[in-house]
Amino acid sequence: MAETLNPRQDLREWLAFVLVWGAAAVVTAVFCWLLGDIVWNGLSRLSWTFLTAPPESAGRRGGIGPILVSTFLILGVCLSVSLPIGVGTAVLLAEFTSDQSLFGRMTRRSLDVLAGVPSIVFGLFGNAFFCKTLGLGFSILSGGLTLACMVLPILIRSTEEGFRAVPANYRLSAAALGLSRSTTLIHLLLPAAVPGLLVGLVLGIGRAIAETAALIFTSGYVDRMPESLLDSGRALSIHIFDLSMNVSGGDANAYASALVLVIMLLLINGTAAWLADRGLHRRIVTV
Amino acid sequence: MYRYRDSSGLKVGHVFSAFLVLALFGAHDTATAQTTAPDPLSGKLVVTGSSTVAPLIAEIGKRFERLNPKVRVDVQTGGSSRGVTDVRQGLADIGMISRAMKDDEKDLHAFTVARDGVGIIVHKDNPIRTLSDEQVIAIYTGKITNWKEVGGKEAAITVVSKAEGRSTLEVFLHYFKLKNTDIKPHVVIGDNEQGVKTVAGNRNAIGYVSIGTAEYDESQGVPITLLSTGGVPASTESVRNGTFPISRPLHIVTRTAPAGLAKAFIEYAQSKAAHDLITQQYFVPLAN
Repeated sequence: MAETLNPRQDLREWLAFVLVWGAAAVVTAVFCWLLGDIVWNGLSRLSWTFLTAPPESAGRRGGIGPILVSTFLILGVCLSVSLPIGVGTAVLLAEFTSDQSLFGRMTRRSLDVLAGVPSIVFGLFGNAFFCKTLGLGFSILSGGLTLACMVLPILIRSTEEGFRAVPANYRLSAAALGLSRSTTLIHLLLPAAVPGLLVGLVLGIGRAIAETAALIFTSGYVDRMPESLLDSGRALSIHIFDLSMNVSGGDANAYASALVLVIMLLLINGTAAWLADRGLHRRIVTV
Repeated sequence: MYRYRDSSGLKVGHVFSAFLVLALFGAHDTATAQTTAPDPLSGKLVVTGSSTVAPLIAEIGKRFERLNPKVRVDVQTGGSSRGVTDVRQGLADIGMISRAMKDDEKDLHAFTVARDGVGIIVHKDNPIRTLSDEQVIAIYTGKITNWKEVGGKEAAITVVSKAEGRSTLEVFLHYFKLKNTDIKPHVVIGDNEQGVKTVAGNRNAIGYVSIGTAEYDESQGVPITLLSTGGVPASTESVRNGTFPISRPLHIVTRTAPAGLAKAFIEYAQSKAAHDLITQQYFVPLAN
């Protein structure tokens, strides 16, 4: 039918083609430029010693060993608190609360508001509540708990969407077979809702691992190897921020640390996707 | 004047410090992080405050930890104002302040560790090499908006200033006798490196940052130039010999007269043993 298009339609087609591909190309180019810049400037510094050695001279020399450990600990605290609470709340919202009920609507609305709150507000809240009121001080625990508060809204909302995406047939069939609600939930709905949970998890980890504002007031600035969860520990993102914005001559190590952060994020996301994929097949098949 | 934290968060202190706390802040006070121990050189010191001083004190703290293996020095940042607040509330044993002490801070005991100069920077391609104080004031208050008016090329000036609460801002305002509300900035920045990067990325920008930072970045090929002030070239040397007019002391402060661990640490930070660390962070050690 292409021959029947008049020149004006032809031009419009062509314009749409250029705009769509152009937009895609710009997005990809920005991403490649960013990644290329980090890899180009960071790769030469990256080595096993860099990953394990403690920082020296305010981070200009030396490595990021203790900072990596602190970052993993903060993330660990954050996930071990937010996952159970997040999934529990999502189950309540999706399976046991009707769409129209006042409770459901209020909870969803407040979660959406919380998801949009700037991280510095969470940081100040964490500082006031976990550090001062609960007396945890500047510690990995305070930081992890603050991040958990920050990640929860995203995690709950996307897990809830995951549950809602499971076809109603599943529930009806399970009921027809005489399965209890808890069996249905654990063996059928939960595995089927994993993709939603995964989206929430990846977004949450992404937000948590890139966080500086909320952590500088909670887990703190100390770059010593942490000895317990009650020690202050500097997260990787704070280290990068400090090296690039506060320490003159810290740029080279800031790039290398940023590269480590990007690699870490890719690894975590990859592992999460692989685990979910594996879990999904095994669990649904064995029922 | 030792005090320690117990599980309820209340503190037991010396009669004098309790009186001081009562007189200044009422009975309500939170726990302090300093722990008493029979051996004065063990326990944990919490230091918070100026982000300019933080890397320096963190480095001094690490060396101090190596000399006294039972000691932990935890350094947190957030700005000079936070250092003052945290020390007053007892959340920190030592505060870091990168400016002269104010009149309403007489309740704190201050110790100078080093000096830092605040220098005005422009892009390297900018032909201007010196500005009079009046010209700087006119630029920062928005009366001069084009480089042509001060002998430069035809281009609009981008005024880079620091965020509220930053000591560099206060030192700058104090020297030029300005109020923060007088300043008409186009870009508001936080840390020194951010200031250097902003000016290096804009040929028509003017900013003010720590001289140590600017001098180091200039030597590393970052396209910025430090302008001389009052006829004195801006350099760590002129800050050291006291001729450079816009300079500031870097302080560490305590609420009560320091004793035990805090005293030992402050004395160490002021001693010659810390001079190489001060120079390493591009500050100027005091002559002693």
